[in-house]
This record gives sequence, C-alpha cells and structure tokens, in this order.
Amino acid sequence: MAFGTVTKRFGNKLFPALSSTPRLLHSHATSFGFKHVNEEEKARMVGDVFTSVAASYDTMNDLMSAGLHRLWKERLVSMLNPFPGMKHLDVAGGTGDVAFRILDNINRVKQRRLPNAFKVSLESETQIYVCDINPNMLNVGKQRATEKGYGEDGSLVWVEGNAESLSFQNDSMDGYTIAFGIRNVTHIEKVLSEAHRVLKPGGRFLCLELSHVSLPIFKELYDLYSFSVIPRIGEMVAGDRESYQYLVESIRRFPPQEKFASMIADAGFQKVEYENLVGGVVAIHSGLKI
Amino acid sequence: MVKVSKEVMQKAATLLSDFLVCPLSKQPLRVCEESNSLISDAIAVSFPIKNGIPCLVPRDGKILEEEDEDASKPDNDANLYAGNEDDKGRSS
Repeated sequence: MAFGTVTKRFGNKLFPALSSTPRLLHSHATSFGFKHVNEEEKARMVGDVFTSVAASYDTMNDLMSAGLHRLWKERLVSMLNPFPGMKHLDVAGGTGDVAFRILDNINRVKQRRLPNAFKVSLESETQIYVCDINPNMLNVGKQRATEKGYGEDGSLVWVEGNAESLSFQNDSMDGYTIAFGIRNVTHIEKVLSEAHRVLKPGGRFLCLELSHVSLPIFKELYDLYSFSVIPRIGEMVAGDRESYQYLVESIRRFPPQEKFASMIADAGFQKVEYENLVGGVVAIHSGLKI
Repeated sequence: MVKVSKEVMQKAATLLSDFLVCPLSKQPLRVCEESNSLISDAIAVSFPIKNGIPCLVPRDGKILEEEDEDASKPDNDANLYAGNEDDKGRSS
C-alpha cells in the first residue's frame, strides 16, 4: 500500500498528464484486447478465454502477480467491511476467491462480537451470491467450496448470470464487488447501472481491476513484463498463450482510473473514490448508492 | 458425474425463487420442479438449473412453447462455451 501511494505521488509530480493508452470511442464495435471485434463476438471470445483457463485460473494469478493478488483481494474485502447477516453480491467471482474471503472476514467479526448462542441464527442470514457468466468458473468455485467447507450453512449461492442484466431484485444487496471482471464485459455502463440497481440505499460498490501505471521506468518494466513474460507463463502453465495475450492487451484497453471513476459517478454512485495499489498496476474503485 | 440429491435441489430451488428475478423483465421467477428450471411468466421464458446452479444468462433462456415442451427437454449444452456453433444457433 505504501508503495502504491508513493508511486502515485511521484508519478503525478513527474508526469502529470501521462496517459498513453489509446481508447476506443463507444460504438457497436468493442475491443478484444487490441483486436476490434463486434459485441457478440467479444462475449464469446471472453467466454472461450475463461473456459480455457478456469482450472488453472488461481494458480496463474499467483504466478503472474507473485502472490500479490491475494493481498489486493484482502484489501478489497477489508474496504467492504463485511458484517454478519449481510447480503452481498460478488460478480465475476466464479472461483469463489473473493466470496471465501468475505466469509472468513465475517466469521472473524462474529467470533469477536457474538456469544455462541447467536451464531446459528446469524449464519443462516448471511448470504453471499456469486454470479459469473462462465459455468466452468462456477463449477471450480463450487467444488472448492465443498473441499474447504465453505457455505455448508447455505451462506453461499452460485448463480450463472450476466453482469449486464443481473437476476437480482432492486435494492436487495448491502454490497457489490467485482474483482478482475469489469474489464472483460462488453458494456461497462450497463454493468455499473445494474450494480446500482441491485444495491440497497447505503450499499457499497467496490471494483478491483488491473489498471494503468504511469510512473516512468516502472511503466517500461511493467510493459516488458506484461507483453514478454505473461503470455509465456500462460503458455507454460495454462497451455494457452492467446488467453494471456488477451489479458495484457485488455488491461491497456480499460479506461484509466479517472475516466472509470467518472463512469461510476455517471451510473449514479456518490462518493466515488479510487486507490492505486503498486503504482496503478491495480486500482480499487468504490462508490456509494445513496 | 456429480449427483445432487433431490432434497438439496428442492431446498436450493425454494431459496432461489425467493431472491432471484428474471434477468430480462426483473419480474419474479417460478420454480418448475418437473423440468428443473426457473420460469419467468412475465415473458414466458424458462431458465435451466444445472448442477444446482441457476443459469440466468439471458441467452440461456428458452422461450416456452404452450406445452412447456422446451423446458422439459434434457440439456445437452451444459458446457456453454465449449460448443460455440451450438451457442450461435441458440442466440439467433
């Protein structure tokens, strides 16, 4: 975290307007990494990517981020400040990574605060909905939950769904998280407006996403790593170079921090903020529905 | 491969219809145990439940014929993204 803050400050001081990422205007053409494709094709191609990497998804995240993605997700969950009895929706979290952390966090809170007698009734009320468009990712998550003993009390609910047209009621969620997911959707605006719809007034939107590095030298190294190393790791570990080529390209395509923050505000969220981690390699955006 | 007991499925299904709505109309869903699916009466579309997971991606929905015959067909496309040709056919 300290590194993130420092790099951000220096970055801003040295090159206040450094932003070299080309952006597409919104049209019916969308991007799949650096390729321009039509919208339906993107949905299918992203589907292919995740079907292809589902089994090795978490291992790959560990390798590519040197384990840092765990810390980033921990940070996301601590910003969410989960509480027993909450209704939470985690979108694009098929493998359960974020959902399990939220449950862990809630259990810690409970052990601190509550006598055992209340445990049972509260446990049954906590509900974490994991929504992912890819059934393979959900199956991996469901299986892991069984292995690790999560959700035996019915606190985990797996739903296959599209972030752009959610199947949850208006004003039904206390929290909404999307980690490394929004970059892959076809229409970011629709995802944000659906997030706003399903959140209760007072509900929190949190988005963890690979973002933009602006600090010189660090940026060069990051680019080198992204384009030369990551596709190769993908090839060796997941046996799939293309998917990881897509990954690094899609990161460059995603709107920069400020632009994404303004899109969140446009969807109706208040108090929109973001925090860069590791100099902007990832950013956590947050907003409140009031 | 994975056998899910009927009891678990029913419990899950009851729970599901409580908080889930149709992703298109945002209207309530009804559980159809016979076809193991969730039905949106508002737009007469049925969404399958596979391996205990409701599939509420809009293009997973099937428009209901009068006799519900579509909803009771066995699902051959459990692996949505593995069969792209199949996928294309369904969405058009």
